[in-house]
Parts: sequence; C-alpha cells; structure tokens
Amino acid sequence: MRMLLLALRSLRREWHLPELRTLAASLVLAVVALGVVATLATRIERGMLASAAELIGGDIGLSSPQTAPDAFIDKARQFDLKIAQTAGFPSVAFAHQQTQLLDVLASGPHYPLRGTLELRDAAGHARNGHAPAAGEVYLDHRALVALNLKVGQPLQLGGRELTIAAELVRQPDGGQLLALAPRALMNIADAEQAGLLGVGSRARHQLLLAGAPAAVQGWRDWAQTASLPQGATLITPEQTRERMRSSFDRAGAFLRLTALLSALLAGIAIALSAQRYARRKTSEVALLRALGTSRRRVLGLLLGTLGALALPAATLGLLLALGLSQLAWMFASQLFGSVPTVLPLAPSFAAAAMGIAVLAGFALPPLVRLAEVSPVAVFRQSVTRRVRRFDVLYLVPVLVALGLIWSQSSSLQLAGILAASLLGVAVVAALLAAVLLWMARRVAPGAHPALRLGLAALARRRTLSLIQATALSLGLCALLLLAIVAPALLQGWRQELPADTPNWFALNLQDDQRAGFEQALAGIGGDQLNMLPLAVGKLTAINGAPIDQLHFADERAKDWADRQLRLSWAGALPPSNQVIAGQWHGARPAQAEVSIDTMWRDMFALKVGDTLRFNVGERSIDARVGSIRKVDWSSFRVNFFLLLDPAHAGDLPHTWLASFHLSRGHAAGLARLSRDYGNLSLVDVDSLLDRVREIVDRVGNAVRWILGFSLLAGALVLAAALAASAAERRHEAALLRTLGARRSQLRIAAACEFALLGLVAGLTAALGAAGAGLWLGHAVFHIDGFVPPLWPLVLAALGAALVVMLLGLAGTRKVIRTPPMRLLREG
Amino acid sequence: MSDSSRPLLEACDVSKSVTGPEGKLEILGKVSLQIQPGDSFAIVGASGSGKTTLLGLLAGLDTPDSGSITLDGHALELLDEEARADLRRRLVGFVFQSFHLLPALTAEENVMLPLELEGVRAARERAREALDAVGLGSRRRHYPAQLSGGEQQRVAIARAFVHGPRVLFADEPTGNLDQRTGHHVCDLLFALNRDHHTTLVLVTHDATLASRCDRQIELEEGRVVGSGIGVPA
Repeated sequence: MRMLLLALRSLRREWHLPELRTLAASLVLAVVALGVVATLATRIERGMLASAAELIGGDIGLSSPQTAPDAFIDKARQFDLKIAQTAGFPSVAFAHQQTQLLDVLASGPHYPLRGTLELRDAAGHARNGHAPAAGEVYLDHRALVALNLKVGQPLQLGGRELTIAAELVRQPDGGQLLALAPRALMNIADAEQAGLLGVGSRARHQLLLAGAPAAVQGWRDWAQTASLPQGATLITPEQTRERMRSSFDRAGAFLRLTALLSALLAGIAIALSAQRYARRKTSEVALLRALGTSRRRVLGLLLGTLGALALPAATLGLLLALGLSQLAWMFASQLFGSVPTVLPLAPSFAAAAMGIAVLAGFALPPLVRLAEVSPVAVFRQSVTRRVRRFDVLYLVPVLVALGLIWSQSSSLQLAGILAASLLGVAVVAALLAAVLLWMARRVAPGAHPALRLGLAALARRRTLSLIQATALSLGLCALLLLAIVAPALLQGWRQELPADTPNWFALNLQDDQRAGFEQALAGIGGDQLNMLPLAVGKLTAINGAPIDQLHFADERAKDWADRQLRLSWAGALPPSNQVIAGQWHGARPAQAEVSIDTMWRDMFALKVGDTLRFNVGERSIDARVGSIRKVDWSSFRVNFFLLLDPAHAGDLPHTWLASFHLSRGHAAGLARLSRDYGNLSLVDVDSLLDRVREIVDRVGNAVRWILGFSLLAGALVLAAALAASAAERRHEAALLRTLGARRSQLRIAAACEFALLGLVAGLTAALGAAGAGLWLGHAVFHIDGFVPPLWPLVLAALGAALVVMLLGLAGTRKVIRTPPMRLLREG
Repeated sequence: MSDSSRPLLEACDVSKSVTGPEGKLEILGKVSLQIQPGDSFAIVGASGSGKTTLLGLLAGLDTPDSGSITLDGHALELLDEEARADLRRRLVGFVFQSFHLLPALTAEENVMLPLELEGVRAARERAREALDAVGLGSRRRHYPAQLSGGEQQRVAIARAFVHGPRVLFADEPTGNLDQRTGHHVCDLLFALNRDHHTTLVLVTHDATLASRCDRQIELEEGRVVGSGIGVPA
C-alpha cells in the first residue's frame, strides 16, 4: 500500500515530464487505434457474414427432402427467430402454346428474411419485395423471353393459372452458380394446392431462420446436437459456395492485416517512449540506490508508477475507442449495407488489455534493467549498469509483438509472413543505418560543413539513430503496406474479375452445334468463349475396391460417392489450375489418367498413383491419378474437380459446356440464340459476379476507414521517434549556440540528419513493403501475377524521407531557439 | 578592429532583471567594468550574487535590460542573436562548471566541434594538437563517461582553446573538481591563457583562484561591492 502511494506521488511529481506524457498518449492512442480498428473490423466481418446471409435468404437454415420437422420450427420459435419456409422444384410452364422447364421456388410471405428480392414491374421500375401473393408469380428474364411473356400476363404452372406480377431480377440463391433452368418464384400455398409438394415430389425444402446473433447461435448449437432428418443438411453462411467463401476469406484476411499493422505501429510508439522514460530515470534511480533504497523496492516503485499511468490511460483509450467507433460507424455504416448496428464492446476491452500487454512487454525490459543501476552511477555515468551482449529480457517485446501478430491475424501463414517481413525490415534498417553511421564517420571530414554537422549529429547519437531508423522503417513499412500495397492487392483482386469476365454459361451443347453456336454468339456480340467437354458419370471404385464397400473418414465423401459427377478432359492444363503433386498427363498418356482437385484428394484420401473407376453411361474407365491440382475457384472460369486425358476419355458420351461474356442489354439476341438452340440451357452468373464485386468494394471502403486510424498511429510513431532525441538535441543545440553556431547551420544540419534518417527508413520500408506485398499477394491472397506497385512505393519512400525531414525540422524549431544562457544556468 | 590601448571587453551600467512568481527581481544593477586584452579577470561573489548572469551578458549569451557591453569593439546590445553567435564563434571560448561535453562524442570529436562550426578542414589534426597540449593525447578516443572529472574539464579546456579565441569565459571551472585536480586544471588554464595571449574572464567563489587573476570584482546582490588586483599564487 505504501509502495502504491509512493508510486502515485512519484507519478504526480513526474507528470510534467514529456516522456511520461508521451508514454501515456502513446498508450491512449494505441488502445484507441487498436480498439477502433478491431471494432470496425468486427462490425465489417459481421457485415460480411450478413452478406453471406443475404445469399441464403436467412441467418441459418435447414435443407431437407421433406418439410422441416416441427421440433426444428418449435425450437426456432423458442429462440424468437423469424421463420420462412421455401420449396424448390423443377416444373413445366405453359403459355402461348409454348412450354418451358422452370426452376421454381415456392415460398411463404416472409421470404427472404435476409437480403433482397429485386423485382421489376410492368413499367420497368425496379423495386424490392417479398414472395408473391397467392395467384401471382414472378418470372426471371430468361423465362419471360423463352415463353414470350410480359409482366401482367397469365401463365399455367403446376396446373394453375397464375398472373406474372413482376420480373424476378435477383433473389437470394445460396450463391448457386449453375441453376439449369430459367427461374420462377410462386406462393407456397399455390404450390401446395397444386399438389406440387406432395408425396413423391422432387422438391427440396428449406427452413430459413433469422434473428439476433446469440439466438441464431443457440438454435444452431441445438440443431447440431439434434438428429437431423434423413438427407437433411444445415445451411450456414460459411457453407456458401466455394467461390463466395474464398471472397469472404480474403476479405477477412485484409481486415486482419490492417488491424494488425495498426497494432504494431502503436507498439513501436510505446516502445520508443518507454525507452526514453527509462533513460531519463537513470540518474534518479542511481540516487535512490545511493540513498539506500533496495533494488526490489526501486523496481516496485518503477512498476507502480507505470501501472498508475497505464490503468487510467488504458481506460481513457477504451472510452475514446468506444465513442470513436460509434462515431465512425455513423459515417461508415451505409458503405457496408445491412449490418447489425449493436456496438460490439469486446474488441475495445481486448484492445485495452492488449495495450497494457504491449506497454508491459515493451516498457518492462528497460525499467527492470534500470533497477540494476549501480549506486556508484551518481558519481560516474559509465558505471550505470552491467553491459550485456545479449539481454534476454528484450525477447519479451519480441514475444509480445509475435503474440500480437498471432492474436490479430488468427492465421499462421499471415502472421508468419508479416513477422518475417517486419523482422527483415528491422534487420535491414539497422544494417543500413549502421552503414550510414560508418560512412558518416568516413565521409564527414571532407563533406560540406552543414552536412558534416548533420552526419556528426547522427554519429553522435549512434544507438538512438539506430533505434530511430529501425522504428521509422517499421512504422513506414506498416504504413506503406496499408496505404499502397493493400489497395494494390484489392485492385489485383478486382482485376481478377474484369468487365469481360465470362458471365454466361451454356450447357448441353452438342458436338455438331459447336461451330454454329460459336458463329451465332459472335454475331450477337459475345466474346471470351471457352468450351469444355462435359460427361456425367459416377465413381464406382477406388484402387479396384467397390465404392460402396469403402469407408471414409470425411463425411463429404459419402455424399460425393452417391452423386452424379461432372467429368471433363483436357490436353493442356487449364488456366487458374496449378499442379501441386505428380505430373500433368498431357494429351496422350500411355494409360488413362485423371487429374484431381485438392478437395478430392482430402475427401477420399487419394494420392498420385491411385486408380479411380468411373461409369459414364454404358462405358467404364479406369484412370490412374496422375496429378493433383489446386484450382482457383474464384476465377469464374469453367473448372472441374476431375479432369481426364483426352486420348482415353474423348469418346465418352458427352455434351459441351461453354462459358462466354455478353454485355448486358443483349437479351433479344440471347433469346434468339436460345430459340435457335432449343436444347441449350443458358445460365446467367452476373448476379453472382455482382456479389463478389460488391464484397471487394466493401472491403475497399473498410480498409480506407481503417487506414485513417492507422495513419494516426503512424504519426505517433514518427512523433515518438523524433521526440526520443529531443532532450539530447536541446542540450546540444544550447551548447552549439554557445560555441557560436548559427541557427541556419543547426537547421541545415538537422535537415541533413533527418533526410538521411528518412531516406534509410523510407527505402527500407519500401523494400520491405514490396517484399511483404509480393509474398502476401501470392501466399495469402492467391492473386496470380501480383506485383506490388514499385514506382509508387519508391516515390512514397522519397516522400517519407521528405516528411521525416520536414517533421524533424518542425520538431527542432523549438530546440534551435533554446537560449544558450540555459547552459550556464545548468551549471 | 583590435587596438591594444582599447579595452577588449567593456560593460557600462549593465542591469538585468527577471520576472518571477513574486514580481520583478533585479539580478544585476548598473555594473560597469573594463577588461584589457590579455588580462585575466575574476568575478567573485556568493551564490545568487549575479556572477553567472554577468558572465552570460559579457559573452553575448544574453542581452542586458539596460546599459551597454562592447566586445572587441562590437556593441553586443545592438546585435541580434545570430550576429552574437557569429562573434562568439570567432572570438570566444567557454569552460563550464559541468564541462558540457557531448556524451556520445569522443574527446577528440568534442574538441573538433568549434572547428566544425567554422568549417575548418583540418579539424581532426588541430583537435589532436589541442588534446596533446592538455596532456590527453592518449585518451582522445575515450568518451566523456570514461574520463574522470579532471580529465573531462581538460577536454573542455582543449575545446575552448582549439580555435584560438581572443577571450575565454570560464564559469566555476574547478567547481566540480577536488582541490588537487582543480589546482592542476587552473594551472593549465592560466598556462594556456599565457601561451595563447588570451583574455580570461572567470567566475568563481574560490578566493585562491580569484587571487591568481590580474584583476577581480566582487558582486553582492547584483552590485559591484569591491574590486582589486589579484596576487599571483
């Protein structure tokens, strides 16, 4: 207790010290930056999850061959969840003596619970709505064209006459890519009355639920322990199709990356201020020790003072973080669509705890070592403490930094790359700075007097210069990663989906229709045509063992073993595929070979050399696994889990699958194409593409918001780095002025010093950011051919040198004005 | 500009006051003095008598509220801080009670400082000569923290003389040293003063040291209460 009072008294007396104020400000800003970033990131991640919910039409659901059991609905009611039930089935529609197979979704009035149902009325006005009323139906554009119908006209569906109330523009569809037929949305009561959902129907039923996150989680936990009906599966936001999942994963990685870099920036600022405080305290500790205070007591006093400072600062940071998060959200929320508006408290509290951990990690080592200052140091500075070649205590901040990287990135790969990159930057910066200092000593004697003074100033504060260069390099590297590399990565991601990305798929094309189709498509302005053979078959044996006698640990395997599979073949490895094991089979291997995707390898525990037997119609083919591929499913190209060699598979019964790009507004041409090739199924993937572009845009907005806070943290690092030498500078300036130095001399010297420091830091940071960006682009974000923007980085590095110089000069303005008389007053 | 018949340093009715929490406080009141080239001149007095303030004014580190100070023919009160700095660089050397060596510089580099400010190319060679002159040629690569108090003050003296100043201001040069070391440092100071024909102005409360100067004045509460001629010890 006495120690605490003593610590509080010490804090009150020392509060005027700039070091202590900077330390407190660093901690407050660290907590604010971390808290705001983490809160925004959490909200945005929730938003992303909400986007996934929009794809499903609810927060969670149950898909089953029959209507969901009452127990599941009752439980949802107990959790106060909103409920919607749908049923999807194929059905033939009649109008104007024409028939068309439609992919029909029948739903109750509340559908969709999440996301929007975009409709267009007879006048062509767009609106959002819910499921149609009884007696009404919505048809998509393809269905309207195929049946030659307009909104307001009647059609026969399931034996009932329904009025087309609107054109169906977009509906939550689970991110499903290959819906085979044009779509219709009808009222579930009509479907039931028409007997479309009775016994023997091929309908797939969905129970969709939405509500508060905790309630959704509660129902989900319960459903996972309850026994699901035969053939039923849970629909979760995470289970959206592979393409969408990859987009969400990337979005999350971006946000984590930005949050992490801000946290590290704050850590560096704290470390610099703590070092400075420890240096300032050396003589005081020596005095205390000389007056008989034990080492333990000195340490207790130091830690008590630090604690007394940390708790209020962290609390203030926490409150500011919460307030600013709410304020930021008021401006930013509209950028992210329908995101839950509750302010999450946990990230700010975690930020406060993390801020204290960072403070402890970075400030403890110098303070603990400070307690070891010898009492003799009151007489001789050279005996302040034992010199250690390697101080194990300094592993603490390294461990804290690594822990921070780990906790914020929640990805070993992302954490590893960042840690290695930043470590590399620190080492290169320290080495470059050491070379600069070495050169300063060699070059200085022959240099211009002002430059010589600047070089001498750098060399004078050798250790501090090294620390400043390293800290500035790390800070600038983090900023460059955020300001230049992250947007470039986003741009690279966006460019993966250029405007001419294939947005249509054509299924069921026959061999003899290929040339004509190609010509007709070119005639209506279609391009980027890509055709691949498609055979439908079943997996019947692995390594000679019948599939139904095999047991697989992976639950997905059983499902896939029962399924009809899409098989294709190619002589050349398709784009966005990468062989990661074995060898690509080429056009004419000696025996039949198949290349499998990594998901198949994992599901069936396959390896190169295994044999798979497929039945396609009457034919059977035994193919050796020749290679394993990693497929970029986000590329929107036609890709297959299984690719056979053309020499052995070419004569299997097959149709062709084509993908092509056709700009919007070619509906009439497309309808003609559809009529000319009656057997074709044309599938529009524009809406899915729009979703992915939307996600990229939302992440872009989020990163821009977070960048603002990271810049604050970066400025803090800069300020702390420059302030680190302020006391020495003031004393030095007073001495030099006494010895007759002109202000301009001091100014030019400071400009040279800071420009050199900025140049070392800027170039190292640019190098580090480019390296880390290249690594991240390929390993984490999987953006093919990503090259960080080198010129902007170099220009930013030079700009950083200029900013460091100007800020350094601005900071030394006061120092240069230090009255020389001060030296005499100091004795 | 120099003229042997004219005083090198002259103060005429110099006053200085500061404003503190208890109002205006006069530190110096109408102090006048003349110092001839080559003289050694001591300003003595108790703590708080205004010695250091007077030294600062004479050296052009500060300006008086009233009165005039002339250094080598230049009226200091008419010069701005930049011009005074220029004058200091050319004409003045300093020795402080707390040595004021830059801790991150070696002894040699500390001595080089005034030469570097003047842009002298052979700074290192001249600094070595200056260190040899104070007997520290072998310690030139040592940092201040690795030197004793006496050695640090000898480095400071080397720094003060290295650029050949016309007047050397010393503020309690032995104040932080033991008697024996202080004695050695003083011997060195006076010897160099003699060899370089430098004018020496020193502030001290040590009567023995003051008596080694050609002339001395005593200050009390900012006013000259006595003056006399020193007796070489």
